[in-house]
Amino acid sequence: MHKGKGMKFVGDSRITADRTSKVPKDYSEYPGRTEAFWPNFLLKEWLAGAVFLVGFLCLVLAHPSPLEGMADPTDAAYIPLPDWYFLFLYELLKYQFASGDWTILGIIVIPGLAFGGLLIAPFLDNGPGRRPRQRPIAVGMMLLALASVIWLTYSSAAHVDWEERAEQNKPIPPGESVVDQNHPGFAAYESSCLGCHGGELEGGAGPTLVGTEHSKEEIMDIAVNGIGAMPADQFQGSDEELEQLADFIIETSEAAAEQE
Amino acid sequence: MLQKIYDWIDDRIDITPIWRDIADHEVPEHVNPAHHFSAFVYCFGGLTFFVVVIQILSGMFLTMYYVPDIENAWQSVYYLQTEVAHGQIVRGMHHWGASVVVVMLLLHTLRVFFQGAYKKPRELNWMVGVLIFFVMLGLGFTGYLLPWDNKAYFATQVGLEIAEQVPFIGEALKTLLAGDATIVGAQTLTRFFAIHVFFLPGALFALLAIHFILIRRQGISGPL
Amino acid sequence: MSDEKQQVSRRQFLNYTLTGVGGFMAAGLLISPVRMAIDPVLKSNDGGDFANVGLEVSEITSDPQRVDWTIDQVDGWYESEVNRSAWVYRNENDEIVAFSPVCKHLGCVVSWEGNDDYPEQYYCPCHDGRYYKNGVNVPGTPPLQPLDVYEQEERDGMLFLGNIKPHEEA
Repeated sequence: MHKGKGMKFVGDSRITADRTSKVPKDYSEYPGRTEAFWPNFLLKEWLAGAVFLVGFLCLVLAHPSPLEGMADPTDAAYIPLPDWYFLFLYELLKYQFASGDWTILGIIVIPGLAFGGLLIAPFLDNGPGRRPRQRPIAVGMMLLALASVIWLTYSSAAHVDWEERAEQNKPIPPGESVVDQNHPGFAAYESSCLGCHGGELEGGAGPTLVGTEHSKEEIMDIAVNGIGAMPADQFQGSDEELEQLADFIIETSEAAAEQE
Repeated sequence: MLQKIYDWIDDRIDITPIWRDIADHEVPEHVNPAHHFSAFVYCFGGLTFFVVVIQILSGMFLTMYYVPDIENAWQSVYYLQTEVAHGQIVRGMHHWGASVVVVMLLLHTLRVFFQGAYKKPRELNWMVGVLIFFVMLGLGFTGYLLPWDNKAYFATQVGLEIAEQVPFIGEALKTLLAGDATIVGAQTLTRFFAIHVFFLPGALFALLAIHFILIRRQGISGPL
Repeated sequence: MSDEKQQVSRRQFLNYTLTGVGGFMAAGLLISPVRMAIDPVLKSNDGGDFANVGLEVSEITSDPQRVDWTIDQVDGWYESEVNRSAWVYRNENDEIVAFSPVCKHLGCVVSWEGNDDYPEQYYCPCHDGRYYKNGVNVPGTPPLQPLDVYEQEERDGMLFLGNIKPHEEA
């Protein structure tokens, strides 16, 4: 058969002018018996696909897709984390040689070399041998890259308490907020406490106030004098406001505890 | 009846060769797990495609309930998860599929790499495959923002900060992605939505088509 | 020979199995998305709530009067206030009737005695559609059905209106 420019077609169609016999592609170079793609081989592929699908659906049913609270750009306590397959890049930028003055190394040079190398791998590793032993450099570099990606991902993920993270960032159902913003104590809560204890008393930098065991007097005392890691003088206002604040915290805490 | 319809169409546009391209060819024994179980490594590419199909389907259905708008995005996702029957499952398919597709893609890439299957004459197909990998990572990155929860927002902010540090074009690049020089907000969300739903899938389809055409052209690489 | 025959039936068997497995995969893939997509169709519309329209029952006379009120409408994740209006009067059997002002022709808004030429009738300005006082369309004018009525209830002397349903009599 003619190739390239020598090929003649009927009109502007893709039918070749010279009739070619429809001999199947010769697989004699490969040992063993061949098998028809349709339906023999495809059936096996689809059986594998069906098993895979069942496993996948089990995963989906067992683990509902996570959803955190609505994006709140003012939430300073939030520690961002990318999806797991970007963790290795995220971790790489923590190293000294990849941050600060060397940021360009971390964000462009290293990933660029790695992914660029991956892209043109066939031209770098252009020997005739295909077995891994015949091309130790290429295989070695790939193993090295793989090991470092796995190590970076592991060291990034190992410090994270995933369950606590999910617990802390649970979405608040809209319209089910227990916070009464018209309560006389809310203004004081908003200005003095909300930053650490959260808009729904759910906690953040400070512990949750839902279901607190402190009495009203104790809360008034803590708000002024602090407790544990909480510094003193968080609340600055009149005694009346202080009392309203304590009332607000106790009422809201009880309402929230009831809801759960 | 079916035969008649087939003949009528075949008479006009000669579809038999197309059918032959797709289905009517022989598969060598060395890729067949029924002969050597170790040949299951050849399944990874097909399974990756299968997950891509899952992603496309679940994604199409998810857009029935999703709005790319900072006021409503989270609300609509929350509504989908809590109020709509099977909504959580469909979102789960898309969420977990995104992870599974990266895993399968990685396994497929490693299979091709360690078997040296990218060597002449298959260099081009390897490069197309690596581009598909990049597109997939881009889909993962842009899709992460869409639910507009805290995780999405802050991870995207970090991603955009990284883009900003690229020398010379960094700030322009960040503005191009975010739609605004300083705010990660309404314009960022619509941009990411467009990229996630139209631009990258378009690129993905084109690359996948080339990938498959090249596989059929060149056949499966021989045994080691 | 018979060998050849067997070949064909084996191929057919494989084809059937292939279709079965493919069908299983398609079903597994599509069952949840399709169920999600048709969810609005299957959600039961449970009658709806009655809303106070701010009109005392004792104030309703045999003269139709227009009432306007707002309801909280929950549309999926979107909640909003929607304006509603009705024409309310007492019919000859001393029953309260509340008509929807939406013309049954093409959906314009009708008003009581909206045209001086047609006293004691509802008039639609779009295509001169007319209805008698009891909501029945005047034959020969564009509307082909009587005006819809609101479900209504009396609570503590106030009028409450609910869903719109078709006019039954006539």
